[in-house]
Amino acid sequence: MSPPCFLRSLLLIVLAAFSANASNWLYLAKLSSVGSISEEETCEKLKGLIQRQVQMCKRNLEVMDSVRRGAQLAIEECQFQFRNRRWNCSTLDALPVFGKVVTQGTREAAFVYAISSAGVAFAVTRACSSGELDKCGCDRTVHGGSAQGFQWSGCSDNIAYGVAFSQSFVDVRERSKGASSNRALMNLHNNEAGRKAILNNMRVECKCHGVSGSCEFKTCWKAMPPFRKVGNVLKEKFDGATEVEQSEIGSTKVLVPKNSQFKPHTDEDLVYLDSSPDFCDHDLKNGVLGTSGRQCNKTSKAIDGCELMCCGRGFHTDEVEVVERCSCKFHWCCFVKCKQCHRVVEMHTCR
Amino acid sequence: MAGAIIENMSTKKLCIVGGALLAFQVVAFLVGGLIAPSPTSAVPYVSIKCIDVRKNHHKTKWLMPWGPNQCEKIKDFDEAVSRQIEANDIVFAVHIPLPPNEMSPWFQFMLFILQLDVAFKMHNVIQDNAEITLDVSLAYRDDMSSEWKEMAHAIETRKLKCAFHSPKTPESEGRYYDCDLLPFMEIGSVAHKFYLINIRLPVNERKKINLGIGEIKDIRLVGIHQNGGFTKVWFAMKTFLTPSILIIMIWYWRRIKMMTRAPVLLEKVIFALGISMTFINIPVEWFSIGFDWTWMLLFGDIRQGIFYAMLLSFWIIFCGEHMMDQNERNRLSGYWKQVGPIAVGSFCLFIFDMCERGVQLKNPFYSIWTTDVGTELAMAFIIVAGICLCLYFLFLCFMVFQVFRNISGKQSSLPAMSKARRLHYEGLIFRFKFLMLITLACAAMTVIFFIVSQVTEGHWKWGDLTIQANSAFFTGIYGMWNLYVFALMFLYAPSHKNYGEDQSNGDLGVNSGEELQLTTTITHVDGPTEVYKLARKEAQE
Repeated sequence: MSPPCFLRSLLLIVLAAFSANASNWLYLAKLSSVGSISEEETCEKLKGLIQRQVQMCKRNLEVMDSVRRGAQLAIEECQFQFRNRRWNCSTLDALPVFGKVVTQGTREAAFVYAISSAGVAFAVTRACSSGELDKCGCDRTVHGGSAQGFQWSGCSDNIAYGVAFSQSFVDVRERSKGASSNRALMNLHNNEAGRKAILNNMRVECKCHGVSGSCEFKTCWKAMPPFRKVGNVLKEKFDGATEVEQSEIGSTKVLVPKNSQFKPHTDEDLVYLDSSPDFCDHDLKNGVLGTSGRQCNKTSKAIDGCELMCCGRGFHTDEVEVVERCSCKFHWCCFVKCKQCHRVVEMHTCR
Repeated sequence: MAGAIIENMSTKKLCIVGGALLAFQVVAFLVGGLIAPSPTSAVPYVSIKCIDVRKNHHKTKWLMPWGPNQCEKIKDFDEAVSRQIEANDIVFAVHIPLPPNEMSPWFQFMLFILQLDVAFKMHNVIQDNAEITLDVSLAYRDDMSSEWKEMAHAIETRKLKCAFHSPKTPESEGRYYDCDLLPFMEIGSVAHKFYLINIRLPVNERKKINLGIGEIKDIRLVGIHQNGGFTKVWFAMKTFLTPSILIIMIWYWRRIKMMTRAPVLLEKVIFALGISMTFINIPVEWFSIGFDWTWMLLFGDIRQGIFYAMLLSFWIIFCGEHMMDQNERNRLSGYWKQVGPIAVGSFCLFIFDMCERGVQLKNPFYSIWTTDVGTELAMAFIIVAGICLCLYFLFLCFMVFQVFRNISGKQSSLPAMSKARRLHYEGLIFRFKFLMLITLACAAMTVIFFIVSQVTEGHWKWGDLTIQANSAFFTGIYGMWNLYVFALMFLYAPSHKNYGEDQSNGDLGVNSGEELQLTTTITHVDGPTEVYKLARKEAQE
């Protein structure tokens, strides 16, 4: 091993140790038992935050519930999008939340970073619109002076605040390291890609309200996409993610595609540095649960099919009687009255 | 003395007047583009799901989404299921505006749009022609500590028009339907600082109320109001324009009164146009700052309607009076064919507006579009009005065509005419062509700016300078039609100058002018009769 190469690997190891907990704030999602985060002391006790995040927590106490909500949203969405894959976004009840998979620069890590920064932006924006936060929108208008600004020209979009908060809270780890290591660059890029997945999918809606409802007066506004839509967009980006490596243009370090034949990635694309493991075998040390015991689809040729899911180990087939709800009567909320139907289905589980 | 001022003005003076008007026009655009903010704001609200725990009836019935005395909330409906809360106990609460702000009378009006987030579930889909029944109430208060006072309460139904663009498979569960925006509420004045909306979706199986509406996840509202800054600029403009139009109107009418003959139809119509313009201009909206006049929105519609009807009638009559054929007109009844559609059309729109905004005075949640009968009725009114408008434009185009045909006919025979008659016809042709030109220019400007404002974003940026295109459109177009009416009254007022200042034989010109006024009503007085009349006049003097 030549000295520069050796040094680089050493650097990588050190950096990996540093960035090992970069997504640990997602552990907030696991803290539903804590109740509302309403006192400054709670910030100190929250696991997984770095010092700068604790400071932000203290300064923006009211926003922290939304951050937690965002983390929960992100994990739920991740698990939904990956329900049929070998890696199904399962979380551990310890740090790091997703096991070591996410601490390496894999595609999966790219997705987790993107969806979680999107989750925070989404949840904070929503909290703004429901009136739970005081600081949104208005103090960012051109005319300044919040009350005067609102009366003179209205408030700017809440999404601006949500995105800005996500930027300062989620990105703070990478920024504090000087944003020069390739891992930090990758994380920053993917965080931004997650927020872009919201911003570039805003729906423009309009209402005409002129004389007799004519379009002489028309007001348009931007509506946030449902979070499922954001998840779908990011999943597509995950499938088309670009493998990158660091390169220097002038004095700034940037990420460029490893394969120079590929066209360069855009702001919205996900990028990754390392190829993923196959997630086949149980490996608790790395937080990989393995696919043994997972259900699979016998007829599918895709990744949810038994062939691929079970990594060629084969599968059990059991006849199971399932109790299903059928001929149900629903109300729009909360009330379901169903009959119970029994059905025998074949269930395939990986060995 | 003859004709209108425009004919007798020197080109230089005309250019000065034109330049001044153009300068005012540019100022009108700049006032909107640079000083005013965008005309309206849309504020998105997400409702908070409250639990109505009024088993003990001591508590107030108003549920606040945040702040002191906030309601007991649930995050999502899974929580409600686990806590065994029924649909009838859930209240969607929205406080207007969002926390640190206060509403203000400068907002002029508020309208709200309802959006439902309905998740797709295999077993709980939205049925065809589903209707949602909302039990809505609106309350207000003027300081944070006082009690809420009820403003309106209604039980409203809205049709759910939702589409689902993904395949309806278990895979797509949890995706949202794409639902049309539902009109929710409209208030014509914003007299209070804080408003509170409580929405319930009562379920009644026996009466089949709120069944088959899918799994509702959230209710969102969008509140639209006029920006205070825009209102202030708008009021300032109105306050400035009212006296200018009023003064020119008085001057114009004095000029007409100074003449020995009675005013002709066209002069009356121009005057009426001035009155309707002043009617729009008078800034009665100032009162809305102090008083809670919810009818101001309706009143504004009516004022605009009157002006449009007047403007359309003016064009028709102006064309008719410059027809230069041998028909006697000079009476409104002579134009019944053309003015009739305008009257019918405006009347239809008036009825429609009364049905919508008139009823909203009583019930702000009312919308004519929510029922089948109402929709058909509204469409009928709008279609009739549309047909009338088309009919009108056909008539107008035909008349303009006729005028141009007559003009080309007359132009060939002009050299052969007597001087008085030639000057008379030349004046007519010039007046007509001039108005035609500025009217087309104004109409084209209006249409172009309308299209631009519909297509582009609300504001353009040039470096540090932000230009509010929509506001510029409103102030600019409003200023333009004011200048149009102003110029019309100024340039088409009867002139005191002589036709023939440059000619030695001035007497004939002086006297003939009295008869050859702004109209063509005397064009049938031909040849000998005219000479005879002129001679008689001379004799009298």
